[in-house]
Amino acid sequence: MEKIKEPYNQIIAGVGGQGNILASALAGIAATKAGFNVVVGETYGASQRGGSVMSHVRLSREKTYGPLVPSGQADLIVAFEPLEALRVASKYANASTVIIVNPAPVYPVSVALKEASYPEIEDILKGLKSLAGDVFTVNATSIAREVATPKVQNIVMINAMSHYRGQPVQRSYYNDALEEFLQGAGLEQKEANKKAFLTYLELEQYN
Amino acid sequence: MNAKRLIMTGNEAIARGAYEGGVTVGTAYPGTPSTEILENLALYEEVDCNWSPNEKTALEVAIGASMEGARVLAAMKHVGVNVAADPLLTLSYTGVGGGLVLVSADDPGMHSSQNEQDNRHYARFAKIPLLEPSDSQEAKDYVIAALEISEKFDTPVILRSTTRISHSRSTVIPGERKEHEVKGFKKNPAKYVMLPGFARLRHPLVEERLLALQEEAEKSPLNRIEQGSKEIGIVCSGVAYQYAREALPEASFLKLGFSHPLPKRKVREFAAMVEQIIVIEELDPFFEEQLLAMHLDVPVRGKELFGLLGELGAEIIREKILDQKVEPITVRDEIPGRPPVMCPGCSHRGVFYTLKKLKLNVMGDIGCYTLGALPPLESIDSCICMGASIGLALGMAKAKHDSAENTVAVIGDSTFLHSGITPLLDAVYNKAPITVMILDNSTTAMTGHQQHPGTGISLQGEPTPRVDLESLCSALGVKRVAEIDAFDLKELRGTIKDELEAKEPSVIIVRRPCVFLQSTFEAPPYVDREACTGCGTCIKLGCPALSLKEEKAKINNTICTSCGLCEQLCRFDAIKPAEEKAGDKIV
Repeated sequence: MEKIKEPYNQIIAGVGGQGNILASALAGIAATKAGFNVVVGETYGASQRGGSVMSHVRLSREKTYGPLVPSGQADLIVAFEPLEALRVASKYANASTVIIVNPAPVYPVSVALKEASYPEIEDILKGLKSLAGDVFTVNATSIAREVATPKVQNIVMINAMSHYRGQPVQRSYYNDALEEFLQGAGLEQKEANKKAFLTYLELEQYN
Repeated sequence: MNAKRLIMTGNEAIARGAYEGGVTVGTAYPGTPSTEILENLALYEEVDCNWSPNEKTALEVAIGASMEGARVLAAMKHVGVNVAADPLLTLSYTGVGGGLVLVSADDPGMHSSQNEQDNRHYARFAKIPLLEPSDSQEAKDYVIAALEISEKFDTPVILRSTTRISHSRSTVIPGERKEHEVKGFKKNPAKYVMLPGFARLRHPLVEERLLALQEEAEKSPLNRIEQGSKEIGIVCSGVAYQYAREALPEASFLKLGFSHPLPKRKVREFAAMVEQIIVIEELDPFFEEQLLAMHLDVPVRGKELFGLLGELGAEIIREKILDQKVEPITVRDEIPGRPPVMCPGCSHRGVFYTLKKLKLNVMGDIGCYTLGALPPLESIDSCICMGASIGLALGMAKAKHDSAENTVAVIGDSTFLHSGITPLLDAVYNKAPITVMILDNSTTAMTGHQQHPGTGISLQGEPTPRVDLESLCSALGVKRVAEIDAFDLKELRGTIKDELEAKEPSVIIVRRPCVFLQSTFEAPPYVDREACTGCGTCIKLGCPALSLKEEKAKINNTICTSCGLCEQLCRFDAIKPAEEKAGDKIV
C-alpha cells in the first residue's frame, strides 16, 4: 500500500439537506474497505435543517485519531456549496489543502431577507485559492439534474472526490461502498445514484 | 484484511453491544444525540424495543423488565435523565434483576440541546457505576461490561456517551451474541418495595456496594495507565482521551473507562509516575475535584487551563499545554451565517408568522418549532424543557398581569404526550384561562421522525392504538378544543383571537403532517412578474424556497412543496397556482 500522510484529513461540508451525512458515511465505508483506520466526526441534530453542516473523515494506517480535524489541518475539503467551502476553509485549510467545490450557491435566509449579502462566486473562489493549494470546481448540481435529479448532487461530489488522485482511497472502494449502501433501495433511487457516481467528470482547476 | 471490520457510529455500536450482551428489552424516548441507539437496537429481532412517551416511563419499563430477569438497555439524552431521575435514584437502592444499562448521551457544546449539563454527576448522585467509552469499539464493549457489572453488583450502570462518541463513526469488530436466560420475577419485598423501613435497610447496602465497586474499578482493564514521559501525566475519559492522545503523544495517560467510583489507588500509582497531573475533561471538574481532594504529592490542574464550557479538541490542548496556537485565517470580514431554518413546506411556519403578526407572548417548547424563535419569525419567547410551555403560561396567568392575556403556549404533539398532559390538567384544575396550541405534525420531527402514541404506529412500524388528542384534552376537562389546518392562515388568526378571549382553558390543535412524511407534492405556484411589486411580504415567511431576484419574488421549484402560504399572503395576487399556467413551461 502506498504511503499516505498520517492522518489524512478530509472534510465534507454543505448545507443541511444536501446529503452530507450520507456522503461522509460512504467515504468512511470506502476507506474502511480500503483497509484504513477511519474515524468520521459529524455534527447533526438541529443543524440538519438548512444549517451549515460538516463531516470530518480521518484516515490513518498506524494510529487512530479523534473525530475532529484540528484547525488548519485539512488535507482535502469537499464542499457541496461555495459559501460553506469558504467557511470551512477559513478554519481548516492550509497552503497545501486541496478543495473540490460545487459552485452552485444555496442562499441563507438572511440573504433573502437582505440582512446579509452573499459574496460573488468569483470572490469566493479567489478567497479559497488564497487560503488553500489547488481548488477544483465541479458543477455537481447541474450534472445531477442532467443525469437524474438535483438530489444526487452529493453522489456527483463523491464521484469527483474519488477521481481526485491525491486522496488515498481507490475509486473502486467508493463504488463498493455505494453498492452496499443501495442494497434495499428502490429501483429509481438505485439508478439515480449509480448514474451520479458513474457519470464522466472533469475536475476544473481554478486559477 | 479481516472481513469482520465494520465502521459504526457510537450509537450503532452501543446497540450492537446490547445485542451481543444478550439484551432482550430496549426502551427510550428520542433525543439527540441518543435517538439512533434504539432505532438500531430495534433492527435485532431478538430485542423487544419500544419508544416510551417519555424517559421516566422508559426507565420504569426497563426496571420492570430487569425485575423479570431480562437484560435491558434504556437510552436517553442528558436532559432526559432529569425526567428519569426519580426512578433512577431509588433504582440504586433496589438494585436490579437482569443487567440494566442506562445510556446517557450528553451534548457538550449544545449542538441540539437547551443546556450542557454533565451527567457524570448522576453516577455520583445515585451512587452507581459509570462507564465512559472513547470510540465506537469501546462503546460496544463497554455495554457488555456494564451488563456484567450490573448483575455482579446488583446495580444499574450508567454508560455515558457524548455527541462526539454517539455520532462519530469508527472501526468496530463485531462479536457473537450471548443469550441471557430470563428467569422470571421472584417476590422480594425487602429489595423491591422501598417503604421507609425497607429503604433504610437498603441504603447501607448501597454504600457497601460503592466500596466494592471501587475495588472492581481498581482492577478493571477499562482503567489503564499508558506510560510515556514523566513530565506530564494526563487523566481523562471519553472522547477527551482521543483529543489528548493526538495532541500529546509523548505524555503518560491514566485513561478512565470505569470512571465512577474513582479507582483511587490507581490514581496514586499514576501520580507516583509523573511530575504533574493535568486533568483533561469536558464540562465540569468531575475528576479534578476528586483528585484535588486526595491531596496527591504532585500538582493537579485542569479547569484553570480549559475552562468549564463546551467541547474540547486537540487544538485547544496543544494551545493550553504546548502553547501552540493556530490562528483562524479570515479572507472576508464576515461570512454570512447559516443557522438552521424551518424546511420549505414546514407546517409550523404559518403558525409562527401569525403569532408574530398578533404580537403575542409565546411560551415555546422543545422541537423543530423552537426554530420559531429565530429571524424572521422571531415569535417564541421561552424554551426551557419538555412540556414547560403550558406550565409557564399557567404561571403567567396566575401572576395576574394584563400581559398574560396575550399569551399562548405552543407545544408539539410528541412533546405534549411526553410531558404536556400534566400541566394542562393543572390549568383545568386551577381554572386558568390559558390558550394552548398543540402543533400536531404527526411525528417526533426534530430527532428524525420517530413514532409516538399519537401516530398509531409502533417503533417497528406496526399499527397500534392511536391516542386521540381532542378526546384526551376533553377528558382532562378542557371544554374548548378547536381543530384547524396549519396551512389556513385566516382560520389560524381567527381561532387564536377567539380562544384568547375565552375565559377558560382552551386548546387549539393545529394539524398538518410534517412535510418529510409526504413524498409527492403538487406543482409549485409561479410568480406573475407583472403583478409582483417586490414588496417582500412573502419573504417574511422565512421560507428557503423564496427569494427576491431583480426586485421580484422568485420561487425555487426544486425545493418548493406548494404549501400555499405565500399565495395566501400576497396582496397583489402575484403568486398563482401552477394550473393557471397550464401549458406553459414552468421556469
